[in-house]
Amino acid sequence: MNGSLQALLAGADLWRARGGGMAATGACRPSGWPRLDAELPGGGWPLGTLIELLLPETGVGELSLLLPVLRGLAAEPPTHARRWFAWITPPHAPYPPALAQGGIPAERLLLIHAAQSEDRLWALEQTLQSGHCAAVLAWLDRVDDRWLRRLKLAAQCGQTLTVLFRPLRHQSSGSPASLRLTLEPGAAGLDLAVLKRRGGGPVRVHDVLGA
Amino acid sequence: MATRQIMRRKVAARPADNRTGDLFAVTPAVPLAVPPIAPLPRTASVHRQLWLAVQLTALPLVAAAGDSRPCGVVAGEGGTRALVACNEAALRAGLSAGLALNAARARVPDLQIHERDLLLEQRHLARLARWALGFTPLVSIEAPDALLLEVQGSLRLLGGLDVLLQRVAVELQAQGHAALLGVAPAPRAALWLARAGGQPPVESQANLAGALAQLPLMATRWPARTLEDCTRLGVATLGELRRLPREGLARRFSPQLLDELDEAYGRRATPRRRYVAPERFEQRLELPAELGSTTALLPYCGRLLEALAQYLRERDRATATLTLMLLHRDARPACVRLGRALPTASAVEWQELLRERLGRTTLAAPVRALLLRSGPAVPASGTSGMLDGCGSGAAHAEAEAFALLDRLRARLGEQAISGVCLVAEHRPESAYRSLRPVPQPARASSVVPLLPATPRPLWLLALPEPLAERDGRPRHSGELRLESGPERIESGWWEGPEVQRDYYVARTSRGARLWIYRVRAGADARHWFLHGVFG
Repeated sequence: MNGSLQALLAGADLWRARGGGMAATGACRPSGWPRLDAELPGGGWPLGTLIELLLPETGVGELSLLLPVLRGLAAEPPTHARRWFAWITPPHAPYPPALAQGGIPAERLLLIHAAQSEDRLWALEQTLQSGHCAAVLAWLDRVDDRWLRRLKLAAQCGQTLTVLFRPLRHQSSGSPASLRLTLEPGAAGLDLAVLKRRGGGPVRVHDVLGA
Repeated sequence: MATRQIMRRKVAARPADNRTGDLFAVTPAVPLAVPPIAPLPRTASVHRQLWLAVQLTALPLVAAAGDSRPCGVVAGEGGTRALVACNEAALRAGLSAGLALNAARARVPDLQIHERDLLLEQRHLARLARWALGFTPLVSIEAPDALLLEVQGSLRLLGGLDVLLQRVAVELQAQGHAALLGVAPAPRAALWLARAGGQPPVESQANLAGALAQLPLMATRWPARTLEDCTRLGVATLGELRRLPREGLARRFSPQLLDELDEAYGRRATPRRRYVAPERFEQRLELPAELGSTTALLPYCGRLLEALAQYLRERDRATATLTLMLLHRDARPACVRLGRALPTASAVEWQELLRERLGRTTLAAPVRALLLRSGPAVPASGTSGMLDGCGSGAAHAEAEAFALLDRLRARLGEQAISGVCLVAEHRPESAYRSLRPVPQPARASSVVPLLPATPRPLWLLALPEPLAERDGRPRHSGELRLESGPERIESGWWEGPEVQRDYYVARTSRGARLWIYRVRAGADARHWFLHGVFG
C-alpha cells in the first residue's frame, strides 16, 4: 500500500464499509477490551447516543464489561460538568464498595427509582438532556420505538455514555440505538455479538473479560 | 383579576424601615445575620414602657411532643443525666424536674424518655416570637425559654391590659404551651415577676419596688452559688437583698448581679435585641374563575413566581423552599411543597419544578385562589441564579448538576433519588448507606474507608437468598462451581445482627459469577446463601 493511500485511510473523513468500521462519528471512549475496541466504530463506546446491551439475565458480566470505560470517565477532568453516574431502576442495588474498587467514587453515584414505566423513561430523558451525567445506565422493561427515538434525541444533547439494558428477547426487534450488542456467557468470558454498529455489519467477539 | 397583597404580620409588625415600601413586603427587609438592637429609651424618659414577660414552663416537653403516658425530657451526660421536665402523668407518678434519670427509672419503669433538643426548643421559641409580633412590634427573645413584649404602645389598640393578658393566655394554651406571665415597666422586672408566678401586673414605676421586694431570689435564676451565699447572709427576698449596702454587694458578688438589680428596678436601661422574623415572601392570587385543571393553573403560578423572583432579586436573596397552597371553595387547601438543593431566585427554575409537580397532582376540587409562600430568604451570593458572571465555573456546574436532582425529585418524589456513601464496616451489607446527595465537593476526600482487598460483587442482593443444596453443595439453576474462597467475614456480637460467614466466588453452569456464603453458626449454620452477583 503506498503512502498516499495510507494517509487517506488514516483520515477521519473516509467512510469504510469493512475492516475497522468507519472513522469516528462522535466522541468515543475505549472500552478497555482491545478485541472489542477493534470492532467498535471509533475504537470504543460512543458517547452521546444510545447503546443497547441485550442480556439473557442480570449478572452475566454486563457491569464488568463497562467497568473500564466507567473508570475512564470517572478519571476525566473536570468532574463537575458531568458529575453523575446515574443508575435508573437497576434490578439489584449496585454495590458501592465494589464500584469504588473499580475506580468509580461513591459520591458520584446517583440511584433513581421509579415504579412507573413512563416515569422511568422521563427520568432517563431528563438525565440525558441535563448533560450532567458522565454515564447513564438504565434498565428498561418495556419501551416503544417512539420513546427510543426521543431518548436518542435526548442523548445527542450531551456527551453522556448512555447504556440501555434490555432482555435478550428484544434482539430481533428494531431499534434506533446506534450500537446494539448481545451478551452471553461464553466458554472463557463473555461472548458478544454486535448486532448493529455504524458503518459495519454484525460481528461476534468471543471471550471478552476472559483472563 | 385582583392581585391582593397580604400583610403577614399585621400593621404593627412593620418597624421603621424605609426599604419595606414595596408591594410585596411582608416583614422588614433587614439582614438576617445581625438582628438590629433596638435602642430603648431610658425608663425615666418621656416614652413610658410596659413589658410583658412570657416565661414558658414546659418548653422542653412541648418540643419533645410526648403523649399522655408518663414521659420525661432528659439532659446531661453519663451519671449526671437528669430530668429537665416531665409531663403530668409523670408528675402524678412522683417524678419531678431535677431528678436523676436512674432514680426516675426506678420509680416509673415504663417512663418514656426524650433527649432534650435545645435546637428544637429554640425553633419553638422563635415561632412564638413570630406569634408575639401580632401584639407588638417589639419582641425580644430571652433565651432559653422566655419572651419579652413591649406592650405599652399596643394597649389601646388591643383593648387594655386585661384583655391583652387574657388573649395571650388563651392563645398560648391553644398552641400547647404552658407559661407564667409578668407585667412591669422594666423588662427584667417583668421577667422576675413572671418567674415568681401569680404576681399581679405592675403598671407604674411607683409600685415596682414594692412588688419586687417580696419576690424570692429564686426568680432571678442567679447561679446556685450566689443564691447559697445570699441564704447564708439571711437574705431570702429581693427586698432584703436591696437593703444591704450597695458597696458590700459589689464587693461580694459579681458586678452583673448589681446591674441586673438596677435593671429590674428601672434604674438602668439595657438595650434588648429585637426579634426580627425571617424574611419570607407571601402573596395570594385570586383566580378569575374556579379552575379544575393543573395546566390551567400554571400561568397564574408563573405570575406569582415572577413576583417572588422580583421580590428576591430586589433584596439580593434566594430561597430553597416554596409552598404553594391551592385554595378551594369548600375543601381544605391542598399544599404543594417544593424544595431545591440550592437556593435560587430564578422564576424559571421554580416554574420547571412546579410544572413537574403539578403535572402529578390531581385536584380534589376546583381551585379558587393560589397562595405562594417562600421559605426563609437567604443571602443570594453563591447560590444558583446569581452565578452568571460571578462565582467560579465549577461552582456553577455543581449547582446545575444538583438542579437536575431537584427536577427529578419534583416529579418522582423525595425517596426516588438517592446517593450513597461508603461506611467503614466489615459486614458487606453495611459497608455503604444511601443518603440525600448534597452539593459538598469537599466531602469526597475527607474520609475514605479502606476498601476490602478481595473483589466484591457489583450487584448486592437486598436480602441474601437461600440457595438450593444437594449433598451439602450449593446449587443455582444447576451445580455451582466454587472458584475462590473462603473469605471469612465476622462481626462482633456487640455490633447488632451477628455475622459469621464464609464467602466464596462461584460460577453457575451458564457462566455467571456469584458471591455466595455459608453460615458458620446459628440457626442457619452450614446453609448456603446467595449475596451478590459479580455482573
